[in-house]
Amino acid sequence: MNWIQGLLIASIFALVVFLLRSRRSVQSQAWVKVGFLAFMFAGVYAVLRPNDTTVVAHWLGVDRGADLMLYALIVAFGFSTLNTYLRFKDLELRYARLARAIALEGAQSPE
Amino acid sequence: MTGEMSHVWIVVPAFNEAGVIGDVITDLRSIFANVVCVDDGSADDTGDVALRAGAHLVQHPVNLGQGAAIQTGVEYARSQPGAQVFVTFDADGQHRVADVVAMIGRLAAGDADIIIGTRFGPGVSRPPLLKRVVLQTAAWLSPRGRRLGLTDTNNGLRVFNKTVADRLDITMNGMSHATEFIMLIDENRWRVAEQPVEVLYTEYSSAKGQPLLNGVNIIVDGFLRGRMPR
Repeated sequence: MNWIQGLLIASIFALVVFLLRSRRSVQSQAWVKVGFLAFMFAGVYAVLRPNDTTVVAHWLGVDRGADLMLYALIVAFGFSTLNTYLRFKDLELRYARLARAIALEGAQSPE
Repeated sequence: MTGEMSHVWIVVPAFNEAGVIGDVITDLRSIFANVVCVDDGSADDTGDVALRAGAHLVQHPVNLGQGAAIQTGVEYARSQPGAQVFVTFDADGQHRVADVVAMIGRLAAGDADIIIGTRFGPGVSRPPLLKRVVLQTAAWLSPRGRRLGLTDTNNGLRVFNKTVADRLDITMNGMSHATEFIMLIDENRWRVAEQPVEVLYTEYSSAKGQPLLNGVNIIVDGFLRGRMPR
């Protein structure tokens, strides 16, 4: 197995475990922001010196920097999809509880 | 008989059932004084029909799904004075009132907190083949269901006591609530028993029943449930 394969699979599992275990604590929100900042800096650097991504790609056993970016994008997309799904489920539950409170307020007895 | 059953509350979740809900409520009311219909944001006049037939009415302002409707109904019923026994009963007329009476008798024996109906018991007719295969696969795929010895984890007919009602917290709004019921039974160590019941597969209830493919949703939702923030 290539280095990149191990790395990608490990990151996918890490993201899933992190997301499923996260209870939206203050720390996890902070880490998301830290991760985003790191992403921004890495992005700016990659734009300024595109050939460096190829160097990194070679370290990891990938031929081209562009391929490495694509793999990273796939993982990031999976992360964001799962995150959105869980957020929606959470919102759905709050919404149901709100609607329930309204419904119970207006309950009617027969006669 | 009404006097004896005043501690029983029947919860009927209903969504667009105006055509049959009247008969179902009237049938229930011939034995049970307390019936609460949860109108799950129906577009037709399900709520009015149920109220006229003698049910208490709680109306969701929007459609939330059957699981949410059951939770609403149980929350309403458990706040009523004297409520001790709770029943979930589908609005489409597929359950028989006689089975409810038998299940209440079974609960009164005191060796179980919740009685779930099963379509696979002795002495009841079996569902159509395809339905049977799907239901038994669903029961088999549920590790908790197997551990608890349940043969029909998706039966809508349940009778339970106040211990269960007070702690019930269904978070799956849609059809996955049946699986969640089983999980709650397991997590809370409620004592569970099964009672063979007849399910009437009328053309109407078959048309309204959940499509078999929904089994996929139920399995995935069940897997994710434990990981959700509560």
